Amino acid sequence: MNWHEVVKAMLPEHLLLAGMVILLTLEILRGKPRDGFVAAFLALVAAAAAALMLHAEGYAGAPFSGHFSVGPTAALAKFALIALALPVVLISRDDFAETRYYVLLLASLYGACLLVSSDSLPTLFLGLELMSLPVYALVLLAQLRADSAEAALKYLVLGGTATATFLMGVALLYGWSGSMSTAVFAAALGSSDTLPVAGVVLVVASLFLKAAIVPFHGWAPDAYEGASVPVTAFMATIIKAGVLFAALRLFETAPVTRPLVDVLAVLPLVSMIWGNVAAIRQTSFRRMIAYSSIAHAGYLFYALLGAGPGRAQAIIFYVVVYGIMNVLAFTVLPRGTDDERSDRLESLQGLYQRRPFAAIMLGVSMLSLAGLPPLPGFVAKFLVFRNVLAAGYTGYAVLGLVASYLGIYFYLRVIQYMFMNPATADQPAGHPRRLALAASLLCLVPAIALAFFPGWLLDRF
Amino acid sequence: MGESTLLNWLLWLPVLGMAAVTLLPKGRDSLVRSVTFGCMVLQFVIGAFLYQRFDGTVAGLQFATDVPWIREWGVGYRIGLDGLNVLLVALTAFLGPLVVAGAWSAVHKDVKLFHVMVLFIQFAMLGTFLAQDLFLFYVFWEAMLIPMFLIIGLWGGERRIYATLKFVLYTAFGSILMLAALIYLVLYTHGSSGYLTFDLRHLSGSQLPLGTQLWLLSAFALSFAIKVPMFPLHTWLPDAHVEAPTTGSVILAGVLLKMGTYGFMKLGFPLFPEAARAMMPVIMTLAVTSIVYGACLALVQTDIKKIIAYSSISHLGYVMLGLASLDLIGIQGAILQMVSHGLVAGGLFLMVGMIYERTHSRAVADYGGLARMLPVFSVFFTILTLASIGLPTTSGFAGEFMALLGAFNAAWPAHLAGNELPLTLAVIAVSGVVLGALYMLWLAQRILFGEARAPHAPLVDLNARETAILVAIVVAIFAIGLFPGEPLGKTELAAREFQQRVAGETIQLGSAR
Repeated sequence: MNWHEVVKAMLPEHLLLAGMVILLTLEILRGKPRDGFVAAFLALVAAAAAALMLHAEGYAGAPFSGHFSVGPTAALAKFALIALALPVVLISRDDFAETRYYVLLLASLYGACLLVSSDSLPTLFLGLELMSLPVYALVLLAQLRADSAEAALKYLVLGGTATATFLMGVALLYGWSGSMSTAVFAAALGSSDTLPVAGVVLVVASLFLKAAIVPFHGWAPDAYEGASVPVTAFMATIIKAGVLFAALRLFETAPVTRPLVDVLAVLPLVSMIWGNVAAIRQTSFRRMIAYSSIAHAGYLFYALLGAGPGRAQAIIFYVVVYGIMNVLAFTVLPRGTDDERSDRLESLQGLYQRRPFAAIMLGVSMLSLAGLPPLPGFVAKFLVFRNVLAAGYTGYAVLGLVASYLGIYFYLRVIQYMFMNPATADQPAGHPRRLALAASLLCLVPAIALAFFPGWLLDRF
Repeated sequence: MGESTLLNWLLWLPVLGMAAVTLLPKGRDSLVRSVTFGCMVLQFVIGAFLYQRFDGTVAGLQFATDVPWIREWGVGYRIGLDGLNVLLVALTAFLGPLVVAGAWSAVHKDVKLFHVMVLFIQFAMLGTFLAQDLFLFYVFWEAMLIPMFLIIGLWGGERRIYATLKFVLYTAFGSILMLAALIYLVLYTHGSSGYLTFDLRHLSGSQLPLGTQLWLLSAFALSFAIKVPMFPLHTWLPDAHVEAPTTGSVILAGVLLKMGTYGFMKLGFPLFPEAARAMMPVIMTLAVTSIVYGACLALVQTDIKKIIAYSSISHLGYVMLGLASLDLIGIQGAILQMVSHGLVAGGLFLMVGMIYERTHSRAVADYGGLARMLPVFSVFFTILTLASIGLPTTSGFAGEFMALLGAFNAAWPAHLAGNELPLTLAVIAVSGVVLGALYMLWLAQRILFGEARAPHAPLVDLNARETAILVAIVVAIFAIGLFPGEPLGKTELAAREFQQRVAGETIQLGSAR
């Protein structure tokens, strides 16, 4: 073990850890509430810069051989995760003064970064759990609502089930191969024996649960609605991204063969359909986004159907665009004193008249999530379905596209509320969060860049 | 400055305009209008210049730009003028300033957003026509939805939200299958030629088996037929037209509907020629059904806007008939009819908007004897009515006549070979001309003549701005009607290429002019 390598390869993780240590020390020494925000923000900026540096340098290293390695793609994925957390932290300032909020957030990010680099199943498990555990507490931290405890408990119980399922799958894979390397999973994909296939199915099921794929999606609407806005933004983007990066880590570039293809295609397809259809009936904005995220998880898992380097490209690009657009939507949401009322979709009525900038940002976000060109969401959707078609699954691709069509309606309805319906009299007087403008610009600028020059990101693979 | 640079300016000028309008201070509505108008006029000047410089005797793209965009997938920023799009680009550039001028006193709500959206849709429409790359085409094609959604939904009539959602959901459904088909086409070409590209020139050389072609063409055709719209996919059109503000109707009738027919002409038929030939009887039947069905429905409407909306369905049926005839005259007629319909229907919708601004009614029954109350208005309305019917010396005559002639040209050999379907269809299509005269003249008779009555009388006749708009349109209508050879000279070579590509070597019908 080379110490220099340990420091450098894990620099983003170290900086996140340093941020947590500083936060905890600060709380003991000073106890001033606003310090937490500044320290967390600086730690994130430093970690993001470190990840970007590693990527730009093309650094590759394995400080803990067989357990942890980093390459340019992993560094890029880490940069995406950490950078997506920046606007989330900016909008957290008004909602959370406690240091513990930021500690939990950084811990969760640490887990996400760890799983991106994992080479062995235990490391991957460690990363996955470290990413998820703080979020159960984060959901609970929303004091604005009475039912967030219920949401957190539901999430915790189902998350625990996912953990158990994952471990069971790993145990079966270990029993089959006698190895703990992540490569075992890819090898099991090509096998037709019962043991490895069962292991793969269990692991995939746990990922489905964590990413909220139908029929394992029940926790998502409650958790998204029960958590406060920044936490929902965090769950919808970084946690979803983390789970998909874990899937990418396991599947690598290995092709998926016949009996597994149908599992991997049908459930995400059902997610797309159900997510998009159920979203139509929602009256709460965050519940609607939850169903939207169920559908998007479906598209993301669809990208696994195609083998080869296109897979990583599609997933990372999709995660980045989807994350940016989701966070953008959350940054401009008004912060009402009555969370339950300001979360209602009707409260968006006439938003364009009251706050045109917010309405336009939310509109951009919705159109991009709907996958309409010229917004970057279209390129992301295009990548996924090109992959599926290139793998020869024409039927699944067409069905998926039709399912994505079903989603257009409810995104347009948000725009209709904001632009076309007049404001109602008893509108809650929501104020934007103080740093919302900075946060939305942080999302908007890369979004425009990706819309016009998707090649900047795509050429990096 | 080279002409290809100018073509880029033509395309990107609306985007600059959007940025300029966005940065203008709040509440300066007339400044917003002036900046938008100025931008559109400049664009028209560039468009007219490029139209003049376009050389109809040279095959292929002119003033082309081809730079890689997403290198890895072979997607490029490829734009250029060719014989198929040159007239439509000119039409779009021509209607741009008129649309803005027509909305001068009609829009008072969210003026800034409105003009940004008008510029946005102008950009998307020009982009769709100019794109020579399948990916780029699709991006522009879909991008048109967003501004139109807002234009109808924000500034439309009573049931605007229903109408705009119907419009978007209808068109988006077509496009989603087109997306699947175009990715499939590109991947297939990649597999067979080893060259991954979205370049249309390259893609149209790919040899696909007939079965695949049929599937892909169906997906493309669904999307285009919704946009045209062809019977039975037309039901969004009357709602969209009636609920849209005047500007929306003019853009919709003037340019947007041509996207569908242009799509067939540029992509659908040339990319899948064998399938196109196999599907021709179906397409012809639907085209003729649209002609007659649209005309019959126009006959029974009581709303002026609805009459013109249904007449659009009928007139675009001729375009499809001309294209499907695969006869040079028919194809040329179809192209001319597209331009002519853009001018005539655009003009008629503008006129309906003008009278609506004065009376807030579009019901035929509310009006009578306008000829005495509004003489200037009535003169223009009469001219546009006659152009819509296709009276000789107007553009409508040249287009419709040539499209029908093409249909007969194509039907005759089939008739001699014992296939009566094309001839029957051509004969039925002619009846559309009679029906067209019937509903338009009846409309003119009811509102222009008879006992003088109108809501909110006495009415003020057209002002200088409105007269100027209509003069421009009428001049263009007569210019094309009297000298159709000029525009046709620019398109002939491309029409011939299209015909040879789609008809193949097997049938060469009436290609002598």
